[in-house]
Amino acid sequence: MAKSGDTVVPADESDNLLIRPLGSGQEVGRSCHLLEFKGKKIMLDCGIHPGLNGFASLPFLDLVEVAEVDLLLISHFHLDHCGALPYFLEKTQFKGRCFMTHASKAIYRWLLSDYVKVSNIATEDMLYTESDIENSMDKIETINFHQEVEVNGIKFWCYTAGHVLGAAMFMIEIAGVRVLYTGDFSRQEDRHLMAAEIPRIHPDVVIIESTYGTHIHEKREDREARFTGLVHDIVSRGGRCLIPVFALGRAQELLLILDEYWSNHPELHDIPIYYASSLAKKCMSVYQTYINAMNEKIRRQINISNPFVFKHISNLKSMEHFEDIGPSVVLASPGMMQSGLSRELFESWCTDKRNGCIIAGYCVEGTLAKHILSEPDEIMTMTGQKLPLKCSVDYISFSAHTDYKQTSEFLRALKPAHVVLVHGEQNEMSRLKAALIREYEDDTEYQMNVHNPKNTVAVELHFRGEKMAKVVGSLAAEKPKQDQRISGILVKRNFNYHIVAPADLSNYTDLAMSTVTQRLSIAYTGTVALLKYYLTQLSSDIEHIEKADKPTLRIFKSVFLIIEPKMVVIEWIANPVTDMYADAVVTVVLRAESDPMPQKSVPPPLLVDKSHVQECLLEMLTDMFGSEGISKMIRNNMVTVTVDEKIATVNVDSLEVRCDDEELQQVLLTAIKNLYQAIAPVKQAG
Amino acid sequence: AHNESPPCYMLQVDEFRFLLDCGWDEDFSMEFIKEIKRHAHQIDAILLTYPDHIHLGALPYLIGKGILNCPIYATIPVYKMGQMFMYDLYQSRHNTEDFNVFTLDDVDVAFDKIVQLKYSQTVHLKGKGHGIQITPLPAGHMLGGTIWKIIKDGEEEIVYAVDYNHKKERHLNGCVLENISRPSLMITDAFNATYVQSRRRARDEQLLTTILQTMRNDGNVLVAVDTAGRMLELAQLLDQMWRNAESGLSPYSLALLNNVSFNVVEFAKSQVEWMSDKIMRSFEEARNNPFHFKHVKLCHNLAELARIPEPKVVLASVPDLQCGFSRDLFLAWCGSPKNSIILTNRTSPGTLARWLIDNPENKTVTMDIRRRVKLEGAELDDYLRKRKNKEQEELRIKNEQKRELEDESSDESETEMDTDAQTVTSKGKHDLMMKSEGKSRTGFFKQAKKSYPMFPFSEEKLKWDDYGEIIRPEDYTIIDVPQTDEDSSAENVKKQDSAIQDLSEVPTKCVAATVTLDINANIQYIDFEGRSDGESIKKILSQIKPRQLILVRATTEATEALAEYCRKNEGVVQGKIFLPHIGEVVDVTRESHIFQVRLRDYVVSALEFAKAKETELAWIDGILDMSRGKVDTGAMYDAEEGELTEEKARKIQDGVLNGEEDPMEVVPTVEALPHNQFVGHKAVFINEPKLSDFKLVLLQEGISAEFIAGVLICNNNVAVRRNEAGRIQLEGTICEDFFKIRQILYSQYAIV
Repeated sequence: MAKSGDTVVPADESDNLLIRPLGSGQEVGRSCHLLEFKGKKIMLDCGIHPGLNGFASLPFLDLVEVAEVDLLLISHFHLDHCGALPYFLEKTQFKGRCFMTHASKAIYRWLLSDYVKVSNIATEDMLYTESDIENSMDKIETINFHQEVEVNGIKFWCYTAGHVLGAAMFMIEIAGVRVLYTGDFSRQEDRHLMAAEIPRIHPDVVIIESTYGTHIHEKREDREARFTGLVHDIVSRGGRCLIPVFALGRAQELLLILDEYWSNHPELHDIPIYYASSLAKKCMSVYQTYINAMNEKIRRQINISNPFVFKHISNLKSMEHFEDIGPSVVLASPGMMQSGLSRELFESWCTDKRNGCIIAGYCVEGTLAKHILSEPDEIMTMTGQKLPLKCSVDYISFSAHTDYKQTSEFLRALKPAHVVLVHGEQNEMSRLKAALIREYEDDTEYQMNVHNPKNTVAVELHFRGEKMAKVVGSLAAEKPKQDQRISGILVKRNFNYHIVAPADLSNYTDLAMSTVTQRLSIAYTGTVALLKYYLTQLSSDIEHIEKADKPTLRIFKSVFLIIEPKMVVIEWIANPVTDMYADAVVTVVLRAESDPMPQKSVPPPLLVDKSHVQECLLEMLTDMFGSEGISKMIRNNMVTVTVDEKIATVNVDSLEVRCDDEELQQVLLTAIKNLYQAIAPVKQAG
Repeated sequence: AHNESPPCYMLQVDEFRFLLDCGWDEDFSMEFIKEIKRHAHQIDAILLTYPDHIHLGALPYLIGKGILNCPIYATIPVYKMGQMFMYDLYQSRHNTEDFNVFTLDDVDVAFDKIVQLKYSQTVHLKGKGHGIQITPLPAGHMLGGTIWKIIKDGEEEIVYAVDYNHKKERHLNGCVLENISRPSLMITDAFNATYVQSRRRARDEQLLTTILQTMRNDGNVLVAVDTAGRMLELAQLLDQMWRNAESGLSPYSLALLNNVSFNVVEFAKSQVEWMSDKIMRSFEEARNNPFHFKHVKLCHNLAELARIPEPKVVLASVPDLQCGFSRDLFLAWCGSPKNSIILTNRTSPGTLARWLIDNPENKTVTMDIRRRVKLEGAELDDYLRKRKNKEQEELRIKNEQKRELEDESSDESETEMDTDAQTVTSKGKHDLMMKSEGKSRTGFFKQAKKSYPMFPFSEEKLKWDDYGEIIRPEDYTIIDVPQTDEDSSAENVKKQDSAIQDLSEVPTKCVAATVTLDINANIQYIDFEGRSDGESIKKILSQIKPRQLILVRATTEATEALAEYCRKNEGVVQGKIFLPHIGEVVDVTRESHIFQVRLRDYVVSALEFAKAKETELAWIDGILDMSRGKVDTGAMYDAEEGELTEEKARKIQDGVLNGEEDPMEVVPTVEALPHNQFVGHKAVFINEPKLSDFKLVLLQEGISAEFIAGVLICNNNVAVRRNEAGRIQLEGTICEDFFKIRQILYSQYAIV
């Protein structure tokens, strides 16, 4: 369990798993993480910071060799998860593949072009244009939930994450190590979305969001009842109800709740509900289509009618089309009332105490929505005037982020060895970290390592490369035994190892064994006898055969020498050993060709006879040990050698050595063996 | 196999038995079911490929009657559309006869058992099937169509692919068979092996001109389609034609008629992610849903259809003309030469549609008309009584009449079937409970509002009129004769039934009559089956190169033709080709031995890997150490260790035949060989470079190379050729080039 800084055992570089947040490390916004393992690089999400503009809002992409990133996975369509995607796909060197779910992709396109339209910043600060978004669509591939995809040996698939339509959690598997990236998720089933699944496969590392830290959400039934009750109160006292929401995601959930509530309360039917967002209108067809990404309830409902075809809710194009003549319910964006329609409506309605405003989502510091929650007496309008705040203001969180209870349950089910916290403010994150560690304090069985890296600081995890290989084919014909020798080809493909016998190769892979034969022709004008003379000096292993009616010599049992008029052809099947033999034969042929020895005087093939060997042996022994130590006579083919009062007998015929002293015996054996090999022609090896 | 009966095969992998598809023919013959029944108790899982009755028709019967009880795997569209198919089929049958092979409840029960999957979602089976993974892959043909990949122990790959379509269509992508390489066993059909398809454009044009001509002559066009499969492709095509202002079709009407058309279109709309890239892109970029029809009007019964002004094009189910609205319309329209009838699918032999395709010159057809009529018989009485009971409509059994057409002369077995049907009729088996049940079910799945117009009484009356009007121009005298028979049989039935009849319900009965009809209408067969044709099947097979092949579901000639092709072309199928007959058991057991070993880090890092394509290879020499299986597991895996080792151990057990398994969970570890034991091995050249590729490499290295009579001549003195055995031969005189080229050639191989 080596963590960063473990210097005792320098780990193999490729066994380290690096998780580097390039954004949303100890902050909320611009989610972007880089995963490095075994030379593969995967980027998770590519968002922008909603509070910043232009290049400042990008994640720290300059720290990455963008061209080396193999894969980019986008968890869902929120700006802080995909906002920088057109920039990344169109304006950088990125060459890898990019995946998101079907619904995410369909909404991504409209959401970003809306973002480009409303962001009122100078064109030079613009990260990308409408056309960049359109072009990026072609580069984005889609993935269905649970569908397994493999890219360069990285296997990944996704689970439903709740949160918003099409939100996904990615499980990534590289070389047997699994990392789960949750993106934003919610374990609470709501009107239209499923709760995030708990994967059945245990990941080794979980990268998890921590937006709500250690908070615990109100129960769904309670908050829905509170919400509908509030709306009912406001409209029945003759007031107008403003619900500022982000155009996509929670808005659809609220619309479903309101539509159902209106259906059940006929007395409210004269009171109109509007949603005032062209973006929401555009994306409604996406909601009407990707029913299969939603929960069981919706999928059953579609058998009757599409729940996203609302009966009591109409779309409001703009303020001009709005007849403000009586009680009404309006859902307007933006959700934090920074500007735009929700701000406009709020300013015109806040002075009447019958009216009400319900804040339904997460609010960032410094926005009007956050401000009015502190119940001030007055508010500042866009034009700088002061208005008294008389309408009621309520806060009901419909945010579909996980809370502490869900997070803790989720992690308990998964039992990952490492947890990396991202997407949360610094304080919330450290509180969550402390709480998680406390939870497993007394657990002797299982320890969880929690990390909360800052932006650009990598978490380094070491995974022991325990490699498993499968032995298949004829090699595995018998049950494995202790000390059984195994020898075959190890095939490594995308971190999978197989051991196969060469003959089985084509059965288990798309590769095949092949053979290369070589034929080399050399001009040779000398006689066969001469050639043979030289060859016998090279090898004792020469056979005469007839090949295609031509006299042929086989040398080393593998190289054929075909004798043709004026030339010889050397033919062999290539492999490193035979190549070497062939080279030797070539040298011999060239030597024979250049040898001017007349034909008549070709000496008979040199025979290595015993007497020659014995002569040489005696000579050598004399050189080694001096003439005194060597017995002068050879008796019964025996020579005795006396060195330092140790006596060894050498059989000159069989070249055996007998000696009481092991050291001497070894010395003699080696010497004699070398001598013999030097004199005698080469024999077929192996 | 060896004929065109619906697919239904049993595959046994070790102890685990799959049922691949569960089809039933158009006539629901019990013969077919018997065979399945015998094996039913052994089946552990069912894999479905397409939503039509050919591929899952027997499911409601088998599951609903409790014969089978096991998980069923299918993709989401197959689940949804399959349900639609079965509802529609039931409804079509029920409209004309007493159909009690299965009920709508059976359909629901059966489909509740389906495990819904996405493409490429891998399922690891548990229990008996441990170690087996199943994965559905896109197959084209119909929405959600599936090729099943069954993998055992991560090594043995079995592919079940029938009726796939490799071509892109309007609403579907082609199949992904290209990505499957060298499966151990492939099960595929030879249905189209000898079939030649005209080009898609030609077929589209043929359809357009037929429609246009008929329309201009003031005639109607009947297009016989299925419920929710190929229909989508045709509906989309026609809708596009209508949208095209130049086509000149806009003044005419276009209607889709089946019992579940509204739901089918709704479901199709919500399954964009299963359709072609083009559709997906257009939806993502412009929010265009292709099944948001502008011109296709959805009808659920003949009355609704009657309101649509003529001339009209009607897409009606079912494709085989054996029952359903298409049969009604055929009967009504075939008499007039103005009308056209377009068949889109070669259905099973013995069906009316198939007979029409096979005998295009035949101008008269004798068939059996079946319909459901009120027992009161006399039209007027009926009418009055219905008036009275109008407020009790929801209790009333629908009263649609249908005619069943049978060709008696062409097929012996059909006459048999007919008599069967007639005996059923005269027995008057009226299970009223079942019927009212059927009714309430219908209400449920149709969802009140939309389906309601299906049954109101006043429209039924309209239908009566419709029927009368249409029948008159035809052979009236002939139809008159059986009419009397009908009446008498009606009386019989009435007597039998009256005892058990609830007064509030209007009893109905089914009558059958044999009629000879002249076919004056223009009948055309235009192929919109969406299957790969023979040529492509062969091409695909030679790409996939399965190690063993099983051919099913085709006529003997077609099967033989394909098998012949595979045998002739070396390398297409390495192993055996099986052509099983029905009921025949094929043994394709391969000696597959697998065990798993743990590789020590130092062993692997000492290896030198050579690259070939995407793989890296190295020669490994090692020795197995069984003793340290469990000791040396990484701390990282602590949490899951128990589970993991168990899995591995099991794999060993599966792989080794008859091996006595060590109770200890041991994974052998490969340790390096001690040095003195090291023995050399023969070098192995891996890869099969192509000469043309090699030429490019040579040119890059600055060596001139060109092909002369199939031999690559390099620098005019070295020749590289491939001899008959596939060996590469390098030949030349001794010179520098020879060794240089040899070096380059070696670099094309992975040498270990």
